Amino acid sequence: MNKIEIEFTINGKKRNLSVKPNDLLINIIRNDLFLTGSKYGCGIGECGACTVLLDGEPVLSCLTLAATVDGKEITTIEGLAKGNELHPMQIAFLKNTAVQCGFCTPSMILTATALLKENPNPTEDEIRDYMRGNICRCTGYIQIVKAIESCAEGGKSEPV
Amino acid sequence: MNQFKYASPENKEEALKILKEERVNACIVAGGTNVLPDIKVKKLSPKILVDITAIEELRGIDKKKDKIYIGPLTTIAELINSELILKEGKILIQAAQEFADPLVRNNATIGGNLVTASPAADTAVPLLTLDALIKIESVRQKREVWLKDFFLGPGKTVLQDDEMIVGIEFEQSDINKNGYFIKLGQRKAMAISIASVAVNLEVRQNKIIRIRIAAGSVAPTPIRLTATEEFLKDKEINDKLVEEAMDRVSEEVNPISDIRASAEYRRYISGILFKRAFKKLTN
Repeated sequence: MNKIEIEFTINGKKRNLSVKPNDLLINIIRNDLFLTGSKYGCGIGECGACTVLLDGEPVLSCLTLAATVDGKEITTIEGLAKGNELHPMQIAFLKNTAVQCGFCTPSMILTATALLKENPNPTEDEIRDYMRGNICRCTGYIQIVKAIESCAEGGKSEPV
Repeated sequence: MNQFKYASPENKEEALKILKEERVNACIVAGGTNVLPDIKVKKLSPKILVDITAIEELRGIDKKKDKIYIGPLTTIAELINSELILKEGKILIQAAQEFADPLVRNNATIGGNLVTASPAADTAVPLLTLDALIKIESVRQKREVWLKDFFLGPGKTVLQDDEMIVGIEFEQSDINKNGYFIKLGQRKAMAISIASVAVNLEVRQNKIIRIRIAAGSVAPTPIRLTATEEFLKDKEINDKLVEEAMDRVSEEVNPISDIRASAEYRRYISGILFKRAFKKLTN
C-alpha cells in the first residue's frame, strides 16, 4: 500500500511522517509519536476519550485519518503543561478531584480548554452541553463541572 | 481496519473523474464520522477513499440573489455559527444544536449527513421544511433534485455511483424564517432520535398561508407530511384544528418498532411533537 507523506505540528513541534491511507490519527499519536495521553476508547466516536485539538478545535482522533492532518496543528494533553508548570485546567482538575481512573481525563481537559476559549464564562448548563461528547464512567461529572467552573473567568466554584 | 487507497483531490472536477473511473470501488469521505465507523465494522469496504475536504468550493454558506446556498462540506459546527442561517433558516440551527455532540459536530458535514440517508438524519428534517434543493454533479451531467425526492430508503438515495452533492439550496422567504424543530431522544448526548418533527409556517390574520411539516425516525426516510399540510392550508387557526392535525400527523407517519421505541409510541408522539412545534410558532 502506498505511503503518504505528511507534515504537521504537534504540541509545537514540526513532525514529518509517512503514513498508510488507513492509519488513524489516534494510532499515529500513540504508537509512532509515543504520546499515550490520548486514549483509544470505543473507536466509533461515542466516548470522546481520543479527543485532541486540531487547529484548536476538539475532534475525535479515532475518526480522523492521519493522512488528513497534513499541514495542521495538533495539541494533545502532553502539550498543555509548560515544562513542570501544569496548565490551569490541569490544576483545577486536581484540586477538585475531578479525576478517578483517569482514562477520560486527558480528553476532558482538552475539551474544557476549548470550551473556555470559545466561551470564557460558561453557565453550568453550557459546560454540560459542551462536554456532552466526553464520557466519564467514574466521577458522575459533578467534580468535572466544578473544576471547569473554577477555571473559568468568574471562577465561580472554589476548590472542594 | 481494511486497506484502501486514499485520494485527496483539490477540485471538484478531479474528484468527479475519480468517481467516474472507480464507480462502486470509491467512497467519498469528508468528516469521517460515519464512513470510518462503517469501514471498521465492514459495512463499507471501499477500495479507494476519496477525501474531498480540500475542495474549497464545496465549503461555506452564502446568499445568491434570493437563495441561501450551503456547501456540502459545511460542518455542523459551522452551521450553528452562521448568522445567515440564523436569519433565513433558523430551524436548521435548532437541529444542528441537537446533533450528536460538539466533538462530532466539528467534523461531521451537512452533505455527509444527507448522503448517509439515515431515517433519523437531524439536518434532513429541517431541510425538508425549508424545501431544500440538492445540486448534484457527475462527469456526465448536472442535475437538481428536491430533498423530498432525494431519499429512497434507509441508507439509499437517488445518487448514482459517479455522482456527488455539490450544493444545498433553499429560498429566502417568510415561511423559511419561521420554523421550529423538536427532537425527542432518550438522552441529550449522542442520542439517535426516537422521533423528530419540524414545522415551517406562514400565517396571515390567523390564517395558514403556507405550512411545511417534516418528521424523522418515523418512516424509512425523513419525510414530508404533505397530506397534513394540504389539510391545514388556508384554514383558520384554532384549538380544534390543531387537535385534528395532530391526529392526521399520527396517521400519516409510517414508523417501525425498534430498540428505541415502539411504532405505536412513535405515532402518538409525532402528533404531540407537531402540536408543541405548531404552538411555539403561533403563540
